[in-house]
Amino acid sequence: MTSPNGLVCFTNCLLPQEDGSLIEKDLWIDERRGVILDAQKTFYLRRNRPERIVDLGGNILSPGFIDLQLNGGYGFDFSVYEDDDEAYKKGLQMVADRIIETGVTSLLPTIITQERSFYPKILGLLRPFQTEKSAAFLGWHAEGPFIEHSKRGAHAPSYLLDAPNGTKSFEEVYGADNLVHQEDWLMGSEHSAAVRLITTAPEITGVMDAMKELNRRGIVLSIGHSTATTEVATNAVRHGAKLITHLFNAMPQLHHRDPSIIGLLGASPHISPLPESVDQSRTASPVFNSTPGPVEEPSHVTPPQSPTSAKLPSGASTPSSTTNHKGSRKSLHLEKGQVADMEFERPFYGLIVDGIHCHPNSVRLAYSAHSEGCILITDAMKILDPHLKDGVYEWREGQRYVKEGLRLYLEGTDTLAGSVVTLDKCVRNFSRFTGCSLGEAIKCATYNPARCLGVENKKGTLRPGADADFVVLSRQGTVLSTWVKGKQAYVANRSATT
Amino acid sequence: MRLIIRDDPTAVGDYIANYICKRINDFAPTPEKPFVLGLPTGSSPIPTYGALIRLVKEGKLSFKHVVTFNMDEYVGLPRDHSESYHTFMFREFFSHIDIPPSQVNILNGNAEDLIAECNAYEKKIKDCGGIELFLGGIGEDGHIAFNEPGTLLTSTIGSSLASRTRIKTLAYDTILANARFFNNDISAVPRMALTVGVATVLDSREVVVVVTGLRKALALSKAIEEGVNHLVSWTLSALQLHPWALIVVDEDATSELHVKTVKYFKSIEFVQDEVEKTQRELKARGKITEEQVYISKIKEESVKRITDSNLGLGNCRNSQNPE
Repeated sequence: MTSPNGLVCFTNCLLPQEDGSLIEKDLWIDERRGVILDAQKTFYLRRNRPERIVDLGGNILSPGFIDLQLNGGYGFDFSVYEDDDEAYKKGLQMVADRIIETGVTSLLPTIITQERSFYPKILGLLRPFQTEKSAAFLGWHAEGPFIEHSKRGAHAPSYLLDAPNGTKSFEEVYGADNLVHQEDWLMGSEHSAAVRLITTAPEITGVMDAMKELNRRGIVLSIGHSTATTEVATNAVRHGAKLITHLFNAMPQLHHRDPSIIGLLGASPHISPLPESVDQSRTASPVFNSTPGPVEEPSHVTPPQSPTSAKLPSGASTPSSTTNHKGSRKSLHLEKGQVADMEFERPFYGLIVDGIHCHPNSVRLAYSAHSEGCILITDAMKILDPHLKDGVYEWREGQRYVKEGLRLYLEGTDTLAGSVVTLDKCVRNFSRFTGCSLGEAIKCATYNPARCLGVENKKGTLRPGADADFVVLSRQGTVLSTWVKGKQAYVANRSATT
Repeated sequence: MRLIIRDDPTAVGDYIANYICKRINDFAPTPEKPFVLGLPTGSSPIPTYGALIRLVKEGKLSFKHVVTFNMDEYVGLPRDHSESYHTFMFREFFSHIDIPPSQVNILNGNAEDLIAECNAYEKKIKDCGGIELFLGGIGEDGHIAFNEPGTLLTSTIGSSLASRTRIKTLAYDTILANARFFNNDISAVPRMALTVGVATVLDSREVVVVVTGLRKALALSKAIEEGVNHLVSWTLSALQLHPWALIVVDEDATSELHVKTVKYFKSIEFVQDEVEKTQRELKARGKITEEQVYISKIKEESVKRITDSNLGLGNCRNSQNPE
């Protein structure tokens, strides 16, 4: 069923907002162009209104979920390329077609550590694409090979590498063509959402040197499979790292004297007064060496009761998202609910919320510390398939894994080998584990990952002009239908797949 | 002028919505002969809009052949600003009903030539055959739309009875009252608006005004218990000059009225219903025409107005104060 004038109005539904709330409101889309409309502009300027109304029965119309870390699914492994471009592309298409049943409409196919010669070829094949009824591939996520040996998890140790030549080492491995500046990489393609993400350990030789340059080229850097100390991790963020890969996993446990990577969630304004005083962060009390006595800066004085500041809604947003500048930390400020600025934003962090990779308490702890940075990921392996039974399955190169419910081990070990959880399940788990509302959980699978990738005008939001990719969820978070580019592409409870 | 009193704003909204629904359905609008409706913004009409939306969703009312004209819009405020009247009308009403966007008219406060915009608006109303029913609300000083109290009958500053759609500088009271929508920042409140004039409203064949809440009580008493005196203060009183005006209020809004006034209007409410019912039946039996129904309404109205005067309810200021 299509709309005679191409416009569709979703009504009787709850819309997740960017602050995590759910509000009852209509949403207008243009199903021919596959984009969300500014309803009021459409009405007053285009003098048009939807001729098709879709009543969603009080359910939730969420932006489609975004999975930043998916290794494969339905039997296809993104990291296995067998010299056959067509077969590989078919595999991608199959995953893209089927993953929408989990509410995912955008994803980053994730390539785990490979024999180095494979990278340029595979990454070249992972340019953004989206077909009519499939999830969108936004680019690629390379997890390794520049990662820490002792935190390699299931990554093959013999393929791990240093980056002695900085950016050049990255270019040699991933292929210089795949690391050119964002715009150049996209030349000749109409896809606007194009993302490349690299999980790397900043303590590996040469990695820190490469970070600024890679960041400049529009590549998102994520700290993971790493033993970085607090100082190194902090420095990595200063060099442009925006994300932490599967928080708590493949990194040092939280130690209160050196909280390492996990500690970035609680990064204190106290330890980052000025960029040049980085070294002082190692001393026991690093900040009291600054000028004694407050030095007033008249230009920054804000009357605490001025009308505009009194009207500012507080509470909902966390300190990291504030744009108010409180000036130097030499002086203390007087505004309740505000936290003094740091020189950097705390990074986003990916959480596998299958109840196995992180204890529910740890999930809540992380979310309480830094809710705005929380991103739900599946890190699911090729045997991800909600319809698959438990058992032993082939992985690759002779290795096999054991699936027990949502647990996945390398056969004969207790090493977790990624997950088999679906993202819709993660959203429900997250709401249970943290006690947050479903709307806030949805935010962690839509708006937050979109912001991390810088694609929030196109994906992960309901902004006018964004792609009309949706997942319709019940008020208990189960997937009822999935929409791609304005068209319904999946409906639950009808015959499973085609 | 008739006054209908209901318990609370919700009941007032329901009454007016049902009233408008009946008027539109009786009118049986067509593409060639649409029903022309004037609409207000503000907090008072929100329950009415809610009730109208319900009627549309229940299939009892359609705006397919209704043309609307809004009363006013700020000057210089972007159309999609959260406080613009375009935004208000879309959010509270138009997005939820089935009106074609081409039949919606709101003054453009961002027009390059504001005077031409106003004149074109008046002309468009005329070209549509005039407004069938104008729904309005009032401000605390009794202003309708942005027709705030003026000082001279022909003033271009105030709002003369003969005023037409025009640019209007907002009264300080109104600016203060609106500041709450602009972060309490008075400097951010627009200082000017385009508004239909008192004459534009009075020209419509029927006027329905919603007045709810204690804060409007004084304006209501001035408007109906005293003479036509918008010059000093109460623009609403101009309705006394209209042959077919209806004011629907809640109990709170009657707080400043004489007990006698309230009792009187309550007692005549059912009489009105009776007369209308009889007229409808006569029409149904083909005894009289639509035109006659209308005329008989006016006649009956003027009879009532005379009665009102005899009771000392109209045009006799300061005469019957019990204190």
